[in-house]
Amino acid sequence: MANHPTTAGAREHTFDAIVIGSGISGGWAAKELCESGLRTLVLERGRDVKHRDDYPTALKNPWDLPHRGKLPRDIVTANPIAKKCYAFDEATAHFFVKDAEHPYEQEKPYDWIRGYQVGGKSLIWARQTQRWSRFDFEGPARDGFGEWPITYDELAPWYSHVERFAGISGNYDGLETLPDGEFLPAWEMNDVEKHAQAKIMGAFADRHVIQGRCAHLTAPKPQHLAQGRGKCQARNLCYRGCPFGAYFSSNSATLPAAAATGNLTLRPHSVVESILYDDATGRASGVRVIDAVTKQSTEFFARIVFVNAACLNTNLILLNSRSARFPAGLGNDHGLLGHHIAFHNYRGSLWGSIEGFEDSYYSGRRPTQLMMPNFRNVRKQETDFQRGYMVFFGAGRAGWQSGASTPGVGAAFKDRITRPGPWGISMMMQGETVPRKENHVRLSTAQKDAWGIPQLVTSIGYHDNDERLLKDFLARGQEMLEAVGAKKIVTRDSKQNPGLDIHEMGGVRMGRDPKASLLNRWNQLHACSNVFVTDGACMTSTGTQNPSLTFMALTARAAQHAVAELKKGHL
Amino acid sequence: MNRREALRHTALVAGAAALWASLPTRTWAALAAPAGWDVADETLLTLIGDTIIPATATSPGAGAVAIGRFILTQTNDCFPPEARATLRRGLSDITASSQQRFGKNFSALDVGQRERVLTEYETQSVAAPHPFRHIKELTVLGYFTAEAGATQALRYDPIPGAFRGSVKRGPGDRSWAL
Repeated sequence: MANHPTTAGAREHTFDAIVIGSGISGGWAAKELCESGLRTLVLERGRDVKHRDDYPTALKNPWDLPHRGKLPRDIVTANPIAKKCYAFDEATAHFFVKDAEHPYEQEKPYDWIRGYQVGGKSLIWARQTQRWSRFDFEGPARDGFGEWPITYDELAPWYSHVERFAGISGNYDGLETLPDGEFLPAWEMNDVEKHAQAKIMGAFADRHVIQGRCAHLTAPKPQHLAQGRGKCQARNLCYRGCPFGAYFSSNSATLPAAAATGNLTLRPHSVVESILYDDATGRASGVRVIDAVTKQSTEFFARIVFVNAACLNTNLILLNSRSARFPAGLGNDHGLLGHHIAFHNYRGSLWGSIEGFEDSYYSGRRPTQLMMPNFRNVRKQETDFQRGYMVFFGAGRAGWQSGASTPGVGAAFKDRITRPGPWGISMMMQGETVPRKENHVRLSTAQKDAWGIPQLVTSIGYHDNDERLLKDFLARGQEMLEAVGAKKIVTRDSKQNPGLDIHEMGGVRMGRDPKASLLNRWNQLHACSNVFVTDGACMTSTGTQNPSLTFMALTARAAQHAVAELKKGHL
Repeated sequence: MNRREALRHTALVAGAAALWASLPTRTWAALAAPAGWDVADETLLTLIGDTIIPATATSPGAGAVAIGRFILTQTNDCFPPEARATLRRGLSDITASSQQRFGKNFSALDVGQRERVLTEYETQSVAAPHPFRHIKELTVLGYFTAEAGATQALRYDPIPGAFRGSVKRGPGDRSWAL
């Protein structure tokens, strides 16, 4: 078997474990497997990005950027999809996939935002990290659209495990709907936010306004300093890569830890074409890789394979891993692979002006916002829509940018627009969407990519439930802003396409029943037990939380299980 | 020009000249001349920008950060081709109304006259999109993201070190730059 190579060439291509992808979950798989003593190959389809060395814009002043952050029109017109992402600008564009690099077919409008490089999207994520609650794990079964094979209590120690290493800031809020974790000190609220918190919590008993929780080192502990990471400097230029290593990324944290064991082989420019299935053993034997630059095909072998290519690409690889045993894709005996894709509904937002607080200001740029854990349908169904939403808040004073729409010219105009302007308060939603079978991805039968791999077809859309949930958020948001005393309240439906939330989940969902799911409670394919999927693709539902922390915890848990099974000789 | 305006004008020119000499090379003036525009366009735009945001006691004006070149480069590189025509229309409207109102070119007007021409133009209803909005938007962006604007007209703190949520604002405190 491939695990016992007899020639030098075979040995160079044989490892204990292969991890496909180096983003937020792949980095965790690499760290945990390497630290357990497994010789691990991490395959990354993009280029290498070294922590600090490859953050070319991280220390640039606004005036050092040729267009002061705005993207030239030729880049904008060439990237109608990527340009929609709020973080895609002159200082960050090098970390985003350009539309022409990896096209896909949109059966329904879908904005697929990607980062193909070592570190993946962990360099450009929004870094908001909340645990799921028991209500989130129990909800799908209660509402009859799915069943998580694990409980909150089973995942809780793994949340703690990843939180301690990553460094998560937050308050101990004691809420059942958003369990506390292992926290570094929370960020501060400004005076208007404190006012809003008091007014909202005074008016609505079930709504809690708390400080956001994020993967920033507000007060690094010895283990963070030992990782070579330092305190967050409140620059909020995170999407350029952090030269202080102050926010968690694969590049700053997990990959260096994996490399320090001596067990890591990191191979950039390695596009995984498929996972190889061995009929004789009934397991995967390795992967077929196409070199992104030379287009040469190579194979690598290992006893276990972790698939962490990011949700939709993980689906694509499994769908393309066709064999006599699995003609419709690896582990896909029932045709459910690629189905039940869900995402977060970000369409709604509100804004209002706040009078007063003239003498109050703030300093520094905070990398998080206030949050309100979901308060809809928590303990029972009580609205005309299923599930709920988290709310994000923030208040701030108008700055010089308002000068563009301020009338006047001359010294008085200049003086006016250089002073802190009136306060405003904003709110946005992060709504759960229900995974539906019809929301799916599949392989194109007509189009291939630059590496000869079928393109992905996306068929993912909104549902009436999403519209009703949005309507409720805008109504509740309006009543909350009124309670705060906001004026000139504006509500907005961005009507943005699914995908732009960059929280795609599902397609390879976990579940107890092999007939209704792809993965077991340890993230192993029911039908091919040495293949683990621990990125967004494994998610049975979406919750209302930012998902990355849960991907990290699931990955660490699955890796520990994989190592234990290997030791027992089960894999 | 009354005495006050004359003094202000002198201060502006002297201040701008001094600042110009002291500016580092990282300004738009160091970049290639924007294609499709001539020196007169750039000079006029710099004067317009410097009228929108003039030098004051504590900070230079937009003219000191080569705002004309910034506006032209940004218009060429970051806006749809129609924006060039809009900007051209704005320059010719402003030239025409300077002539109409004061019988001189914009560059020959004193500061007060320039301000009057621009204030009237801003509120005038002209074919959409209003060229002055484009000029103003880019003047504001270019000035406050330039080193002089960010560090002298605003407060620029590239590495704040922490976020403090409640800071008492002093009467003279300016906003934070990007």
